[in-house]
Amino acid sequence: MSLQLSYQPNYYSIDDILASQERVPCKVLQNVLGMGKLNPSAEDKDVKAGTELELPVWLVASDCSIGRQPIFAPELPKIYKEAYREILKADATAVDLHKFNVYFYELGAYVKQFDRKDDVHAILLHTFTTRFRLIMDLAHNSESNPTVEQKLDMLERRIYRVGHSARVKLNSWLLESGVQLQAANMVTNHRKRKRVDDDLFN
Amino acid sequence: MDPDEVEFWGEKSPIQIVPTFNSPAIYLIGGDVGPFRATIPCRVPLWVALSLKRQQYCKIIPPEWMDVDTLTELRRQEKAASSSFVKMPSEHYMVEAKLLLGGAADDVPRADEVKTIVKDIWDNRMAKLRSSMDSMIRNSSMYAAVDNLTLMEINSVRPILPHALNQLYRMKMVKRGLSQGSATLTHTRTAVSFTGS
Repeated sequence: MSLQLSYQPNYYSIDDILASQERVPCKVLQNVLGMGKLNPSAEDKDVKAGTELELPVWLVASDCSIGRQPIFAPELPKIYKEAYREILKADATAVDLHKFNVYFYELGAYVKQFDRKDDVHAILLHTFTTRFRLIMDLAHNSESNPTVEQKLDMLERRIYRVGHSARVKLNSWLLESGVQLQAANMVTNHRKRKRVDDDLFN
Repeated sequence: MDPDEVEFWGEKSPIQIVPTFNSPAIYLIGGDVGPFRATIPCRVPLWVALSLKRQQYCKIIPPEWMDVDTLTELRRQEKAASSSFVKMPSEHYMVEAKLLLGGAADDVPRADEVKTIVKDIWDNRMAKLRSSMDSMIRNSSMYAAVDNLTLMEINSVRPILPHALNQLYRMKMVKRGLSQGSATLTHTRTAVSFTGS
């Protein structure tokens, strides 16, 4: 099994391109000459200092990381703001992360650089670690039911998919060639075991 | 790794058979097998044993641990040890149990009971493994002790656990971009790297 998933985003990573396409609200700090097109609502040729724009994150992130005087002052997108962070803190497993953003973690890795308090960093880790059990349970127990992954963001989905296919292989190995190791009837009947995988006990 | 590959490794473990035929030793790349003398027990790899059994050329003597009393004791220990794993009598107990109970059930005394107990032990260990994986991720532990886990069990947490850990590592690496004033995000459009995909 390849370890493709442990990728670092590279130039050709489609996920990275899609994730960094997301727009973040930001404020222009200096006059930007000849870039009036950035602001579709104004007819001017230049963008004036103080204008508020929504720009794709790849543009803003590269502007911030070069080390010269920044042109834009980015803000956090709303899903990483306090109110949403509280939701995630309360119970990350109940959240439909896919609705928050398809690339919640990828985008988070970009925007957490705009956050000086490191709250975003903490919430990303918290979300992932709490939801890991959910992903693992889904991968281990769902039959080929495509709806289960709807609440997962893309990164989680990929982990879920490889986990799921590995689990299917293991289960079919346990079942194949008519050699079934069965759990005791008593166990199945009493529902003593939390996870009674019906497939395994037929 | 596929479970079938693990099974392949497990098939190399030696087992005793009582052949019902005579034959000089057979020389194979993996080692010599035999010589076989009828009714004299000898040790052969599991796959040879199963193949001979299928042609009714031998009777398999099941490994010592494949016995109701030993396994019941193991199951008791496994249940008693709530947070650690008990050492299994064989590195490939699951493979051996599955193959022997499948291909040579008539040679294993009380095969049905053995089947049930092995499955019980397996279920119990898997449940422990899952909960310890979860607590490891949740507490961001640096390491986890996986003593006494067999290959099949370790293989069952792949690839989900390594992937999750890799992603966690990635998240931790891109920690502070702005506040330290360094360009952590060098992987973006400006830098071409051909790693990974």
